[in-house]
Amino acid sequence: MNRFHHADDSTLMAHAAGALPEGLSLVLTAHLETCQRCRERVMDAEQLGGSMLSELVPDNVSVDSLDHIWDRIDKSECLEEENPPVGNVAGLPAVLAKYFPDGLDNVHWRMVAPGIRQSIINQVSSERGTVRLFSIAPGTTIPHHSHGGTELTLVLRGSYSDEIGRFGSGDLADLDDSVSHQPVADTSEPCICLIATDERLRFTGMFSRLFQPLVGL
Amino acid sequence: MIRLPPGRVRCQYPQHKSSRMNQLSVEKIIEFDDTEPSAEVLSGWLVAVGSHQDRQSFSRLFEFFAPRIKTYMQRLGADSALAEDLMQETMVKIWRKASTYDPARAVPSAWIFRIARNLRIDKIRRQKFYEVEYDQESSILPDERDSDPIGTSRMDAMHVTAHMKALPADQLAVIHLAYYEGLSHSEICTRLELPLGTVKSRLRLAFGKLREAMGAQS
Repeated sequence: MNRFHHADDSTLMAHAAGALPEGLSLVLTAHLETCQRCRERVMDAEQLGGSMLSELVPDNVSVDSLDHIWDRIDKSECLEEENPPVGNVAGLPAVLAKYFPDGLDNVHWRMVAPGIRQSIINQVSSERGTVRLFSIAPGTTIPHHSHGGTELTLVLRGSYSDEIGRFGSGDLADLDDSVSHQPVADTSEPCICLIATDERLRFTGMFSRLFQPLVGL
Repeated sequence: MIRLPPGRVRCQYPQHKSSRMNQLSVEKIIEFDDTEPSAEVLSGWLVAVGSHQDRQSFSRLFEFFAPRIKTYMQRLGADSALAEDLMQETMVKIWRKASTYDPARAVPSAWIFRIARNLRIDKIRRQKFYEVEYDQESSILPDERDSDPIGTSRMDAMHVTAHMKALPADQLAVIHLAYYEGLSHSEICTRLELPLGTVKSRLRLAFGKLREAMGAQS
């Protein structure tokens, strides 16, 4: 496993800074759940954030700020923390459970091309890109394309291969406009992956450009 | 960044649209010691709040962090009133979550930064911040957890800052845009009129140097 199977440091930093578009951070977090290497780097980047917070020029706070805070604390003492944990869904990272509550076997798919199905997560914004789940039938190839911005791909089931390498469950591909690739599902089961972009993809070649409106990427 | 000497009173309100509220509160400014307490001291306060709801320790944390959290919120797009509100909310969350703070896993400033950042994204950007929850983290890969005692081996905020200041200006600039302005990579590209690859490589280079200085193994 090389660095291409993990998030780029610049992506991890943006996440820690709170500057990663929502869709990319969803896919990254799903990867972080099982990746110690990337989690530690996020913590380092958060330590940088802590240092930068400490370094800020203090603003004035009025004397009654602390009193207001004590009031809020005393009033909320009996309140439970918000966000009750969502139940786990087998085979899915916890952060994805609420988007696919019935698991990967019961996704509402839409066919986009022979061998390729997708399910878009509409609730999550991602600049000019999207977040979607793809299911690629064994042997099927996604036409050759490059990326206008960043594309994060997390394999959830099966695997695929492209010019960069082979990606299996839990692996993350963090690609940008410098990379052009042609992934192919390379086992006997469909490859299911979650893909977030912050820009539209750039398909290369005549067939691929015909493919673009179909996929809507 | 210009910092005032410790103990100096700052009685000038920053140049906000001066509301009546601001005018009235000009004279009621708290005087704080500006010196940054060490990570051990901060950590002790946070643990005291978590273990026995120690109000004195919380007040000390407030004195150091509240004015900085307020600046953070303003730099990231909140007006003065919202920044004050979000600062108070951050402090309330610190109080409530302090019992989950584990000094072996994070330095206090990083732990507090996470809370402020998440609130900022939730309330200013109106987005969800996805993150691996702490309790979830500890349940994953337990055999790998012992390999690197995060926090204990890492340095104080001050030391990280010292190394950060040694970075080349172009690398420092992209870090500032990400952390202090919350700009995404593509927004930084637009702001600095640079290609994506350049922005990413500057961040990567800076992070590599800082992690090395922080004693991380690559």
